[in-house]
Amino acid sequence: MFNKEFKEIQKTHITVGFFYESGKELFKLKSLNGEVGFDRKITDKNIHRPGLALAGYVELFTYNRIQVFGNTEIKYLQSLSPEERIKSIKNILQFEIPCVVITNDNLLPDNLLDLFTEKQVAVFQTPLETTKLVYFISDFLDDQFAPQTVVHGDLVDVYGIGLLFVGRSGIGKSEIALDLVERGHRLVADDVVLITKKGENILIGTCNSVTKHFMEIRGLGIIDVKNMFGIRAIRYQKRVEVVVELLDWDPKEEYTRTGLDEEHISILGVEIPLIKLPIFPGKNITVIAEVIALNHLLKHYGYDSAKEFNKNLETILRQKASTIKTADIPIERITRYFEHDFE
Amino acid sequence: MIKKEVEIKNRTGLHTRPAAMLVKLASKFKSDFFIEKNGVEVNGKSIIGVMSLAAEQGSKLILKFIGEDEDEAAKAIIELFESGFGEIEELKKDENRDGSQNN
Repeated sequence: MFNKEFKEIQKTHITVGFFYESGKELFKLKSLNGEVGFDRKITDKNIHRPGLALAGYVELFTYNRIQVFGNTEIKYLQSLSPEERIKSIKNILQFEIPCVVITNDNLLPDNLLDLFTEKQVAVFQTPLETTKLVYFISDFLDDQFAPQTVVHGDLVDVYGIGLLFVGRSGIGKSEIALDLVERGHRLVADDVVLITKKGENILIGTCNSVTKHFMEIRGLGIIDVKNMFGIRAIRYQKRVEVVVELLDWDPKEEYTRTGLDEEHISILGVEIPLIKLPIFPGKNITVIAEVIALNHLLKHYGYDSAKEFNKNLETILRQKASTIKTADIPIERITRYFEHDFE
Repeated sequence: MIKKEVEIKNRTGLHTRPAAMLVKLASKFKSDFFIEKNGVEVNGKSIIGVMSLAAEQGSKLILKFIGEDEDEAAKAIIELFESGFGEIEELKKDENRDGSQNN
């Protein structure tokens, strides 16, 4: 049995220091007051523009968010007298704010920066425009605070479809993944798949930074797929699109025969098609895995094999009921022999 | 289900060899065996899984045993952790050496 309860992991905070380290490259952040306040925590994935708080209205001030000073905030501060500026900044500094980001390479007027340094609040500067920065930071924080889970299984990109193989220990998940790699498909993760929820209904699977594209094959040991099969055999991340559960063949269990009714599995609240695949000697799971991927592709492009088959059958049944029977043969050929063609 | 917290005692942490000892032992039992570190849970019968935890000396792990022979499994596996994967000898020697240097 594989564990169907996916334990959700979610960061409760990131430190300002981590935000800066990541933001140096992503949002071109520059620290204006050294490493002050780097151990402060960012607990909210939203950002805030503190225009009203600077003006004195702090009733609903969401101070726990990253505070972004755009042109408006800077122009507003510039329009005030030096005393008023200090008062305005103190309005927001009475709260424990995580950090401040100033856009458009603007600078704080006078010595206002010292007020932030005194209160141990990091102030960053970026050349980006406010709208762009807000977009980038939201994307970054969304990812940081996204729900995650670890699945014991193998994720392989088969014809562009992310197939996640799960099943009990030793059923042969890694061997199937290896076989698929051998046939030209790409391994994302073996044994430990780290799944992150993106937006509302997207699951992205990656491998772990320790295990990378290493794989364990029973009786052989640990192999390095990237070095053995080359760069084409791996990829860093892939959307999880179909879950394939490998099961020991059980004659009492009922497996789908038509594929008309889809089963689903919920991972982090996202419903993913689930295919239960009984395995037994002589069954080529690799080829079936390819077919699963192709079938999913067909469905994605609007063609459902099972439904089409059913439609065809229904048409024939209708025709049969309404026309005069020509013969009593129950099974008909798809076509008559072409004349004089006996090939 | 049995749940128990253990600490990594050997100096080199849960590297390849101890991880192999652990999964080999765990695979002898029918019970499911999971290891949790900092909220991340992996299958204790998978060597790649166990190594992905990168559990260093002093780190705390929560072991979970579920199944018919969970008592035996828990006893054997906890014992293996307690013994420091047979690397505790080496640890003592190192301590002695450090001690002599101090003297």
